[in-house]
Amino acid sequence: MVWVRTPTARGENRMIRQPVAFDHRVHAAGLKISCEFCHSGADRSAHAGIPTTQECVGCHNDTWLASAAFTPVRASLASGVPIAWKRVTQLPDFVYFNHAMHVNKRVSCTECHGDVAAMPVVSQQRPLTMGWCVSCHVEAPQKYAARALTNCTTCHR
Amino acid sequence: MSKLPKNMPRARSPIARRVIDDDINQLAVLNETSPEFPPGASSPPDGLERRDFVKLLAASMALAGLSGCVRAPDQEIHPLITGAPNSIPGVPLHYATAMTIDGLTTGVIVESHDGRPTKIEGNPEHPASLGGAGIFEQASILELYDPRRAQSPFKGSAPTSAKELLSMFTPPALANRVGARGAALGLVLEPTASPLTASLLARVRTRFPDMHVFFHSPLNSRSVGTASQRAFGKVLIPQHDFRQANVVVALGADPFASAPFHLRYARDFSTRRRTSPAPSLHVAEVCPSPTSTLADTRIAVAPEALKRVTAALFARVARDTDHPVLPPDQTIVLNDREERWVANAAADLIRERSHGIVIAGPLESEEVQLLTLALNDLLQNVGTCVWYTESPIMDAGLSSHDVRSLSDSMDSLDTLIVLQGNVCYTAPPSAQIERKYAAIRQTLYLGSFHNETARLSKWHLPGTHYLEEWGLERAYDGSMSIVQPLIAPLYDGRTIAETLALISGARNASAYSLTHEQWNASPHATTNAWDATVRRGVAADSALPRVIPVFDWRAASDAFEVMARPVTSPVSVAASNAIELVIGASRTLLDGRFADNPWLQELPDPVTKLTWDNAALFSPATAKALNIVTGQLVRLETSTSNVELPALVVPGHADGATSLTLGYGRRGAEHVADGVGVDVNVVRTMDAPYRTVAQVRALDQHHALAITQTHFNIEHRAADILGASMSPRDSIVASPDANPTDSAARNSGANSNVLPATPTRRTRKPLTLYEPPAVKTSGFGADQWAMTIDLDQCTGCSACVVACQSENNIPTVGRDDVLKGREMHWMRIDRYVSEDDAATHIDVQPMLCQHCEKAPCEYVCPVNATMHSDDGLNEMVYNRCVGTRFCSNNCPYKVRRFNWFEYNGDVSAPERMQKNPEVTVRARGVMEKCTFCVQRVRRAQMDAELAGEPVTGPVLTACQQTCPTQAIVFGSLTAPNSEVAALTNHPRAFSALEELGTVPRVRYLARTPRDPT
Repeated sequence: MVWVRTPTARGENRMIRQPVAFDHRVHAAGLKISCEFCHSGADRSAHAGIPTTQECVGCHNDTWLASAAFTPVRASLASGVPIAWKRVTQLPDFVYFNHAMHVNKRVSCTECHGDVAAMPVVSQQRPLTMGWCVSCHVEAPQKYAARALTNCTTCHR
Repeated sequence: MSKLPKNMPRARSPIARRVIDDDINQLAVLNETSPEFPPGASSPPDGLERRDFVKLLAASMALAGLSGCVRAPDQEIHPLITGAPNSIPGVPLHYATAMTIDGLTTGVIVESHDGRPTKIEGNPEHPASLGGAGIFEQASILELYDPRRAQSPFKGSAPTSAKELLSMFTPPALANRVGARGAALGLVLEPTASPLTASLLARVRTRFPDMHVFFHSPLNSRSVGTASQRAFGKVLIPQHDFRQANVVVALGADPFASAPFHLRYARDFSTRRRTSPAPSLHVAEVCPSPTSTLADTRIAVAPEALKRVTAALFARVARDTDHPVLPPDQTIVLNDREERWVANAAADLIRERSHGIVIAGPLESEEVQLLTLALNDLLQNVGTCVWYTESPIMDAGLSSHDVRSLSDSMDSLDTLIVLQGNVCYTAPPSAQIERKYAAIRQTLYLGSFHNETARLSKWHLPGTHYLEEWGLERAYDGSMSIVQPLIAPLYDGRTIAETLALISGARNASAYSLTHEQWNASPHATTNAWDATVRRGVAADSALPRVIPVFDWRAASDAFEVMARPVTSPVSVAASNAIELVIGASRTLLDGRFADNPWLQELPDPVTKLTWDNAALFSPATAKALNIVTGQLVRLETSTSNVELPALVVPGHADGATSLTLGYGRRGAEHVADGVGVDVNVVRTMDAPYRTVAQVRALDQHHALAITQTHFNIEHRAADILGASMSPRDSIVASPDANPTDSAARNSGANSNVLPATPTRRTRKPLTLYEPPAVKTSGFGADQWAMTIDLDQCTGCSACVVACQSENNIPTVGRDDVLKGREMHWMRIDRYVSEDDAATHIDVQPMLCQHCEKAPCEYVCPVNATMHSDDGLNEMVYNRCVGTRFCSNNCPYKVRRFNWFEYNGDVSAPERMQKNPEVTVRARGVMEKCTFCVQRVRRAQMDAELAGEPVTGPVLTACQQTCPTQAIVFGSLTAPNSEVAALTNHPRAFSALEELGTVPRVRYLARTPRDPT
């Protein structure tokens, strides 16, 4: 009972090794590419989305594509098998989170994902518990000039 | 009682909907406080001793304690390689296509989630749908993902390569076997209206001019064609406009639930029925049907009696209109009920001359068809409500549609190619198709399932589902649709077009290029662009031109003379045990092509409420005379064969007849349908495929039928459940405080959406000390969701039940669990039976979560798993639910469903692809119920929010969207010009069990009384 309430049990700060050594620091902090450039569903869809292999290659055609770090990308492009990224921010299946609603209400990405631009390897930064979600939903009118949606079916359906 | 089968669900109440069934099943009325669930509903799994069960329980508790501390397994994200145009992962797309049954299409809109089609809706643009969808359209999505579909070519019973198979059926290989002109080559198709198939057949014919082409469907009755041939000299089919009709007479017909155009007919009739004066509907039929639930007058007549009734109707109309071609002056023996029905129908038809429709069922005899044509002509209905067109079906009316010609030719064939259908199961045994098919040297079957025909074929090529293929198809009125695929063939299937192209020598022709080519050649391509037609789902103005033929009156008088032969005496069933046998399609499985679809197997028949079985239907009086009860096996002996199957007593069925349904007792490698029901094809013959006479004998054996009628019983207050306006004609549900002015509502000329000046609404509100619930007018909760269901429009066709199942990931439970009352449908259609001296009437009421403002379920949940939202929804939170079932016990409407087992546990990988990603797939031990399609409500709210405006467009629930008659209206009570708000205060509006004070958000509009005059 105590264990499940620890950050470790919730999966916080767990370093997750991805199949491609992608470094958010280079892209987001160094090159100042906005999050939505690659996670293009964030303002339009429930899912933020992971860029397609083709989108990675679109920028990297001239740079780094031949390097060893890009082996999985080249393999994916050649074989047509997607790159199997590891999910970092995992909500239970009975929770229906919608990125578009949050992004359009000007909830910053860092609010839930932490300062990804400073992370060499991305890990979960917030508890992602229902209590944590609701605490923000309750304050939504003050923080985001949005309605305080606390009905069950806001997230569970 | 000792004679009853053990699993027989016990009925309980002396009044309300069970009464007739109790009587006829000769069940003793049990005490008033017997349980609301059938026996066994809460029993633990079979085959487990109590001690083992407790041990397991302890072990699972311990494990549950451990597993609660473990994180969910890690997941991976697999992005696409190349993004699809217009597609944003997570945002569903919708595409138009068309579903074809026996050659005639209905347009559909398919929802696709990231490339997976998940849900089917009607296409509002398509003339056969107008936005509604039936049970077959709704359930067809499940067939796409059926893991038991044929997945590779087969040679005999062993898988083979496509290359080997195809090399056998190239033109040179064929020519070696069937001769240069193809005299020993045969093709069997289902009836088709596809111009693509027609042109490819022509192409094959240029190669093999002497080949034989046959069209086979067990429901392909030829009587319409032959009658039209006699009356008009050519084959024409009747088209109807129910919006223009002031009176409709249906003779053995079920135009609102089973004709090819039934969705349109139902929509048109309901549109007309909302205006005043409402059209009258007179039905004569063997067994109650969805159509007859709306009827003003109805008689149950066996087929022979239907001929007499039709003749009498014609005679009466001809006499009263002083028609020059009077029938011979002979008396037709009718009983009182028949006499009265004929008088009413004839009077209405004559009064509304030129604005009536007489429609006959396609399986009725040629004489009935002929007199129907004659009646419409005589009443000058032709040109207004009725007109004729050529049949869109290829070679309609020719002998190639007769199974006899197939049977006769089979002996001389070397190669027979069967393109879809299942001729070895569906043909009558006297055609000896199975024996002859097995004897043919080379047989190829193109089909999706390892069924009876596939089993006997030398070669089997996997077919495609319509969501996997390109094609051109036509609707009943001739409207052309381009069928577009939603997904690449899952199992390497081939379309009919591709297979025909192969036989004609075009080995690598794709269905897309063939379709495109044929489209460009069609006359509609000049006025309809390909892209626009694909997007819209139908080519504009492509319906067949109207034909107003000249009626040959000699033909009618011929038919009349045949029918007017005086009947010596009505068959005395009890004395002779001779009974008329009526064979027709199953309402849920059709001819068996949907037998492997668990949704349709578990869908209760709209009238009998039978699932997972077929039965011989008897009227209560006939059953009594023969000493038969429901579930008892009977043997039906015809002159050629016999069949044994359980009896089912159906109130409202015709006396002296029994109805059997096709599609059961499958003999192939079916999985779901294995062992379900009895094959009644054996008593069909080529001469009498639908009607015959049998000796009936009751056997001393019983079979438990999974009938849902007695499940989820509401406490016996039928007047409060069905609304007071039922009572004027209904002695069973009569209520002393019935409002006599309800009937006025229908005749007052008021459009049902408009409130009359003086509301006549029943005011029997419960006394309460509570304040009325506060309704916000701004902010969240400004929308107040509510639903109305118009019982005056509902036919009970059950499309909503399947739509709900498809939208909300509702599992099926199987026959054994249905017997225990564990079916999971969130929406059920309750059947109520009442009798007056004219007829037995069936009333139906869709029952779903009423979303009570004072919900009894919410008070009793110990874990707050069911809550009330600010916008009026009764919410069910699956992840909180611990399965106490207190809520279900406290629900007066009995609409909550419990997951007794892991019903979603053994769902195969392809079937999982059908699941709606917006709805949780529930686990074992969790309560569930109607959510008002909250995922659709929230989606609409989010879309509106993102667009920065209030919810403007209608929010359609799944049941509402599919409803052919638009009986269901959903929306916000507080929205401006809200239709649902107006209907909630309609004079006919009432809440079920209003006096309980639950304040339901679902309001019903009471059925208007039947008006026999």
